[in-house]
Amino acid sequence: MKREKSKKYFWLQRLRIFSQIFFFVLFIFLLLKTHYAGEDYLKPTVERYFHFDPLLALTTIIGSRLLYAALLLSLITVLLTLFFGRFVCGWVCPLGSLHQFFSFLFKKARLLKPQKDDRQSLGLKYLILVLVLLASLLTVNLAGYLDPLSFVYRSFAVFVSPLIKFAMFEVAGLAYHLGLKSTGQAINQALENLALNSTFQNALFIGLFFLGALLLNSLKERFWCRYLCPTGALLGLFSRFNLLKLKIDPEKCINCHLCSIQCETNARPYPADEWRSSECVYCNTCAAICPTAAISFPLRWKAEKIRGVDLNRRKVLLTSLTTLLVAPIFKITSHRQRSYPALIRPPGALPEEQFLAKCVKCGECMKVCPTNGLQPALTEAGPEGVWTPVLVPRIGYCEYYCSLCSQVCPTGAIRELTIEEKTQVKIGTAWVNKNRCLPYALGKSCIVCEEHCPVSPKAIQLVRVETLTPEGKLVSNLAPFIVQESCIGCGICENKCPVVDEPAIRVSSIGEHRSRKNRLILEVQDENEGESNH
Amino acid sequence: MERRDFLKSLLLSGLSLKLDPITYAKPATPELAVIEGEDPEAITREAIRALGGMNKFISRGDKVLIKPNIGWDRTPEMAACTNPQVVKALVEMAYQAGAKEVIVMDHTINQPKRCYIRSGIQEAAQQAGAKVLFTDEQRLKRMKLNGEWLKEWEVFQDFVEVDKLINVPIAKVHSLSRVTLGMKNWLGAIGGSRNRLHQKIDQAMVDLTAFFKPTLTVLDGYRILVRNGPQGGRTSDTKLMKTVVAGQDPVAVDAYGVTFFAYQPSELLFLKLAQQRGLGKFELEKVRIEKRKI
Repeated sequence: MKREKSKKYFWLQRLRIFSQIFFFVLFIFLLLKTHYAGEDYLKPTVERYFHFDPLLALTTIIGSRLLYAALLLSLITVLLTLFFGRFVCGWVCPLGSLHQFFSFLFKKARLLKPQKDDRQSLGLKYLILVLVLLASLLTVNLAGYLDPLSFVYRSFAVFVSPLIKFAMFEVAGLAYHLGLKSTGQAINQALENLALNSTFQNALFIGLFFLGALLLNSLKERFWCRYLCPTGALLGLFSRFNLLKLKIDPEKCINCHLCSIQCETNARPYPADEWRSSECVYCNTCAAICPTAAISFPLRWKAEKIRGVDLNRRKVLLTSLTTLLVAPIFKITSHRQRSYPALIRPPGALPEEQFLAKCVKCGECMKVCPTNGLQPALTEAGPEGVWTPVLVPRIGYCEYYCSLCSQVCPTGAIRELTIEEKTQVKIGTAWVNKNRCLPYALGKSCIVCEEHCPVSPKAIQLVRVETLTPEGKLVSNLAPFIVQESCIGCGICENKCPVVDEPAIRVSSIGEHRSRKNRLILEVQDENEGESNH
Repeated sequence: MERRDFLKSLLLSGLSLKLDPITYAKPATPELAVIEGEDPEAITREAIRALGGMNKFISRGDKVLIKPNIGWDRTPEMAACTNPQVVKALVEMAYQAGAKEVIVMDHTINQPKRCYIRSGIQEAAQQAGAKVLFTDEQRLKRMKLNGEWLKEWEVFQDFVEVDKLINVPIAKVHSLSRVTLGMKNWLGAIGGSRNRLHQKIDQAMVDLTAFFKPTLTVLDGYRILVRNGPQGGRTSDTKLMKTVVAGQDPVAVDAYGVTFFAYQPSELLFLKLAQQRGLGKFELEKVRIEKRKI
């Protein structure tokens, strides 16, 4: 018999690789475009990717009990998956493509050797899915940690893009050093225009997780997609009865096992009845490499018996029970009772409970923040809020006329605000530490905080204070006084305070508009008060 | 030209220089031009013309840096940054005078890109052909300023590498120095922890002005900031003066700028210190001023 590979599937495989590159490059391009480019309002960019993610839609809608219209786009993904299987994993997902690429590299380097009859269970990701979904029912949002889009965006925003910036900066420095002034200048001007943020607290963990996920590909091809990805698992459930079914022509098949060995996700195309449509990502590798072109994916409407997902009732039950026990642990925290002073959320952030249920920790707000002030939380927001955005004024303040973070949030955890609305939102309150403030403590003139206060009339007013020096001299200086009612908590005062290590003026979350509890002034309307003052 | 004619004219011109301004009825060029008018661009041009034209200050082939105040993320009607039309006019005039390259830059306080775009200065200056650059921290160098107080500080090299510096501040109030005009604008040419300069702001302004020695100072008093300085935030914080003040003497320009507000030049410490340092004169009665409305 003449042996010949399938031309059709060869080209389909090529097309799939092209599609992966296209969607990956588009993702990175849109990610880089997520910054202030001269317009107050950004057009929808990379958050569109998130809107097509059914896991994020499901968990945030269940968790917050709120519908967010844009996420309904994910129904399109569900529908397509119902008909055509998990092609999104194989053709579109940027993290999947990255894993595929690294698996390819590891295979080339002979670090990864595909096994012949790999029977390792692929069920873990379904258990993770059960865990994530049940947790969201208990309003604990864990989807963001393992959702591929959140994972890849966060990793790029917090870890990869700072690396790029450092590298470029070093190159520019070298260019200046070598006397190539215009090259150095061109690089640094471009960096300023790109507005890449380069400072992130606990970027170490986020970076290590990312590198770890990539390294796992040396153990098994597309390790993440096979064993961990809850979004892939969800799509797998939907794809079980899709129309594109693998078919092996028994007349042509020479039982070489090549298809099963090289299957990206171990969907076991061979032997014939072992193939699982819920694991297949339609990469077309098996059909393309089959030496006799025995494999095809014909469109078939007829229902037929297909192997189910690698799960049993006992495992699912056990996972559910575990989740029910574990998820509440996330809530045993003082953060639920009392607001945490350093928990300054971006303007437009929903009340904390809803915010936590909706935020998927993707890091889009951190990428777009023009001052680098939005940072992934570690302890500020309690156990549920690890890697949710928090404003750290010492790193960057909230730019007065900017509402970009509220525009890019893919799930509406940060409500979209116009610039006018944004300038009215109070996210915290500034406090002067008189023991460190130069005029109060040292009798030196300063007023830097007052100068920078963007509110008009200023929320930092000046009072004259007298400080007694050891020489017995009274020094008189202007010193800051915070007007609680007008302070919006933007933190520029803290950011620019010359006492750099522990600023003499600091913002805490008290007074934030989104919380009814985290307030300090009792606003009682006394009808006579207004008149008696005049 | 014949040698005889040449000698004759040389003699005559020498005489006329000596006898000036008695023999010549035409008044000498003013030290300060104060021009009021509706169009920011037109009054800027007129002010420079009154001083004798840009050719007097810029030679063919010069590299020029124009330093506006682009410090804040505010639009022109807030009067926190220099009027973009004033900057544009100066860029055009510098090129007309034969400048090889005109750079416009400032070390901003808010995000540089926001300040450059929303102030309108980037667009206006680029339209006129200027190279608009963000300050670049790799171009900072610690330099000897030899000031009374500031001995050394980090300076952006762009400001010292050019042949001519034109300072284009806007007139605003400030809680510490009371007003911020041309001399304080030099805080935007340096890096380091600038906010510490507030501890002795008047002396810092004088030391920086002495170091940078601008060729020309053009004070934008078209729309000035009278409250909530130095960034304002409401149009009600501003006041239309529709004036541009230009001159080579940085102290005299600032002294005139002071009169936009409810102060006398003699009340301001930095002006006194600057005069003592020999940077110029703040007693306006001793300054030749040409004041006109167009």
